[in-house]
Amino acid sequence: MKRPQAQVAVLQAADAQEDRRIDDVAAEADLKPEAATRAAFELEADGLVSVSEETLEHYELTDEGDRYVRESLPEQDLYEAAIDAGAADGPVQMGQVIGASGLEGGAVDIALSNYARKAYGSIDSGEITANQDADPGSDPEMLALEAVADRRVDDADTDALDQLERRGLLDVREETVRSVQLTDDGVTALMEGVEAAETVDQLTPEMLTSGEWEDVAFTEYNVEADAEDVSHGKEHILRQTANRVKDTLVGMGFSEMEGPHADAQFWINDCLFMPQDHPARTHWDQFALAEPEEIGHLPPDLVERVRSAHKEGVGPDGEGYHSPWTEDIARGMDLRGHTTSLSMRYLSGHQVGELDPPERYFSVEKVYRNDTLDPTHLLEFFQIEGWVMAEELSVRDLMGTFTEFYEQFGITDLEFKPHYNPYTEPSFELFGTHPETGEVVEVGNSGIFRDEVLTPLGVDCDVMAWGLSLERLLMLMYGFEDIRDVHGTLCDLELLRETEVIR
Amino acid sequence: MPVVDVDPDELRYLTGHDEKDDDELKSDLFDLGLEFEGWTEDDEFQLEFAPDRLDRLSVEGVARSLRYHYGDDRGVDIPNTNSADWTIEVEDQPDERPYVTGAIVRGLDMDEAALESLIQLQEKLHATMGRKRAKGAIGVHDLTMLKGDSVTDETGKSITYTSADPDEATFVPLDADAEMTPSEVMASHETGQTYGDLVADFDRVPAIYDAIGLFSFPPVINGRRTEVSVDSRDLFIEMTGTDQWTIDHMCNIVCYALAARGGQVEKVDVSYADDAPGEYAGKTLERPDFSVRTKTVTHDRIESILGVSLDSREVIDYAERAGLDATETESDDGVAYEVEVPPYRVDVIHPLDTIDDIGRALGFNSLEPTYPDVSTVGGRHERSRLEDAARDALVGLGFEDLLNFHMINEVENFERMGLDPDTTGGDVVGQTDPVTIQEPYSEDYTILRTWALPSIMMVLENNTHRSYPQDLAEIGLAAGLDDSENTGIAEHRTVAAALARTDASYEDAKARLQALADAFDKDLETPPTVHPSFIGGRAAEVVLDGESVGVIGEIHPKLLIEHDLELPVAAFEFRLDALE
Repeated sequence: MKRPQAQVAVLQAADAQEDRRIDDVAAEADLKPEAATRAAFELEADGLVSVSEETLEHYELTDEGDRYVRESLPEQDLYEAAIDAGAADGPVQMGQVIGASGLEGGAVDIALSNYARKAYGSIDSGEITANQDADPGSDPEMLALEAVADRRVDDADTDALDQLERRGLLDVREETVRSVQLTDDGVTALMEGVEAAETVDQLTPEMLTSGEWEDVAFTEYNVEADAEDVSHGKEHILRQTANRVKDTLVGMGFSEMEGPHADAQFWINDCLFMPQDHPARTHWDQFALAEPEEIGHLPPDLVERVRSAHKEGVGPDGEGYHSPWTEDIARGMDLRGHTTSLSMRYLSGHQVGELDPPERYFSVEKVYRNDTLDPTHLLEFFQIEGWVMAEELSVRDLMGTFTEFYEQFGITDLEFKPHYNPYTEPSFELFGTHPETGEVVEVGNSGIFRDEVLTPLGVDCDVMAWGLSLERLLMLMYGFEDIRDVHGTLCDLELLRETEVIR
Repeated sequence: MPVVDVDPDELRYLTGHDEKDDDELKSDLFDLGLEFEGWTEDDEFQLEFAPDRLDRLSVEGVARSLRYHYGDDRGVDIPNTNSADWTIEVEDQPDERPYVTGAIVRGLDMDEAALESLIQLQEKLHATMGRKRAKGAIGVHDLTMLKGDSVTDETGKSITYTSADPDEATFVPLDADAEMTPSEVMASHETGQTYGDLVADFDRVPAIYDAIGLFSFPPVINGRRTEVSVDSRDLFIEMTGTDQWTIDHMCNIVCYALAARGGQVEKVDVSYADDAPGEYAGKTLERPDFSVRTKTVTHDRIESILGVSLDSREVIDYAERAGLDATETESDDGVAYEVEVPPYRVDVIHPLDTIDDIGRALGFNSLEPTYPDVSTVGGRHERSRLEDAARDALVGLGFEDLLNFHMINEVENFERMGLDPDTTGGDVVGQTDPVTIQEPYSEDYTILRTWALPSIMMVLENNTHRSYPQDLAEIGLAAGLDDSENTGIAEHRTVAAALARTDASYEDAKARLQALADAFDKDLETPPTVHPSFIGGRAAEVVLDGESVGVIGEIHPKLLIEHDLELPVAAFEFRLDALE
């Protein structure tokens, strides 16, 4: 029978009576360990050898363990000092014993806790006694430490080893060791004679240019064997989700908005018809800036129209709010609590010029809220925001648009719960069915902008808008439980590396 | 969102629907937008709702909404009122709190539940419309304990809203046994300490007197003499505040709740002296003001918002089911309705709000979604396309893409990077005056980051237990103060990358930066520079197409030690717009 060279070498080096470690087999056969392993698996697949695996534990002293084995355990020092102080005959002041022992800092606590545990004596009310019968000289933990240091682990007591690991004096590493043994078929094959085939491992440029490749056989690989880990770059999971959302919205005819993260309250709140004393304005707890405190310039005619909408209302039956309104507050700078500030800038005509219906715009950008950090809330998160401007829009159009959008993410059976926002009327909270759990969950907030929002901006058609958090969508779609693992400097690289890519 | 505690038994009693079990009630309430959040310790429903329908802040208001929902009531309901016997004289009241309103409700037979509901309504109104009592504060008094001087004729009685010297006037406040001055109340009474700030700056504090003397110190606390108990049958309600409309409507909500308990509402005259501050000097207002407001809304608008065809009969029917009244009329824009809004509805401030009510009565979820027949062309913003292209290039070079917070603190942004936060100006990357946050929630987040390498260093610091190499990159926001911008802030996207590996070198970083520059067809030069975050002699400016846009180098060992890193890090950072 003809087998590749490496397999022949492994067969010849393997034994029928006992397991031989693959490393030893490789050394004898003059093969790299990986090549020998691969050959062994190939032979095993043909029933010529058996491959067994065992997990070996390697013990290594930590720095602390190493120090103790060269010197002594802190509790041994303590015992010695206690005996010297006469604690075998009766209680002695602990401070005195500790002073004499030369122990300092954290070593004192270590010595005290182990002293009592090992019954070297007792410690009570600041006094220490020593047990005459204790024998720290043959302390099993010290013996085990010495055994590890001398590479005689087999001599060490296993309980003592466990204890040392708990004390942080030992590190335990696990290693998988593979061994081969000839099977009966393997012995038969050897007896019948096995020859090395003319095979090559690696196709080389020379073989290609010389034409030698035509005359050789290629070694068969174990194509099922594990390959080494390759680290690779990957786009952040939230960026991937954001791009998935952006693709969907662009496909639905939406254009992307862009604008400042730090902006005047005017654009963030006042244009949105949020009264300056409304609880929602504190409820959102937006971050106000200490520096810069105020925006440089606001369009004066727009400021006047917004003021008038707040104070006097819009239209003959509009009342406005019975709340104070000052330009000073409107000029104050905040980190935006929602990207609707961008929508206001766009709709006002001050960002990209006057807009005529129909238009669709979106953004998937960061917003900032002065909230408590917890597994589902961050101080910064991404808001998906979108709006449609057309001559006439109804709540049915709103429902149709959002049903379409959420279906792209597997969220179906959308329900529209009538809601209240200061800036939209009618307003709806959106609820959808979770694609995995089947639970009904809130997936967004939407509505048709009020006249008090649109008229000051100079918009005389209908605009419907909605928003939701990207993180919420991510958590719904991919089942993350703690958003902090993903977003921010507390992120876990391992999690980011292992997370499935978004399709 | 406001939360109101409601006893389900009370709800059954007030709606007259004894047959409804708890689950049915919860489901009916959900349809109205009142969500069951859980049970209170006293076995009451805890209901949460959006902050528009403040008339639902008591069990009486919730029951009223349910009765409309069930179809038991229709249209606008105005309680009967008796004419005024009492007057609130207003003179020398504080400029800062010029307005007062009031009402009398007689013939109540209150049990514990009714009294508790009244107290809850008062607290909830204080928290919402009253803006924690700053805008409006409610005082409810036992009428029999008040002695009114006759003002005009034999029968008329009055109390006076005025101001008092905080150190001279005295009364026995609630939860106290001795006479106190307003100053003493603010200093040592528990409620006084909570609300005293509202009037602490006043020269003279708000005060209400009857013929016996001071009995209320609004908005802080009432006197003990007029305290309401379950035995109180006749109540005097007064409210003071900074806006007449607001307190008048708070008063309406309270009067409607008490009328639902069988109380008879009686008007009170509010008589402002000729020289009284505020906009009602010399005027007498009759309160409570139960007049209905009217909003004109066209039939076309109702149909265009709801997206359905309706006939007038249906519109009027839905309006009545919502507790409104609608009368068909003609307008320039065709058929319209005069919609009457009851005096407790503080949320209706535009005709559009009545369309929402009609939609709710119709049932929004019964509407069939339609995809709008509107065609637009979509597209990405140039900036976000550039950002994505650069990110793709970095990922192709093997970097893991990070996403960090834009907020950071001075220590991480400057000090731990070897920068001096007090040095301003100059052209050291990262050394920019930062945008700072007022009253930050956490000391970890006090400024916007001026560059992104500090964030990457923090990620490296938090992941020393993970395998190396760690080649990390981020494209994100950085910002600094800039007077030349309208917002006073220059915001830009920054590209930051770091190689943390046992043999990381300047050359490794530069090779990747070069590849990035090549990908965007930019000419890269790296003249030597000095930057405190990098090792001297191993740092360079990043110059793209002749413009200095960033820095590259080997991170200084003192920063590595500071961030608990035990291997070298080579890094670069530059402005994204340099790749345009």
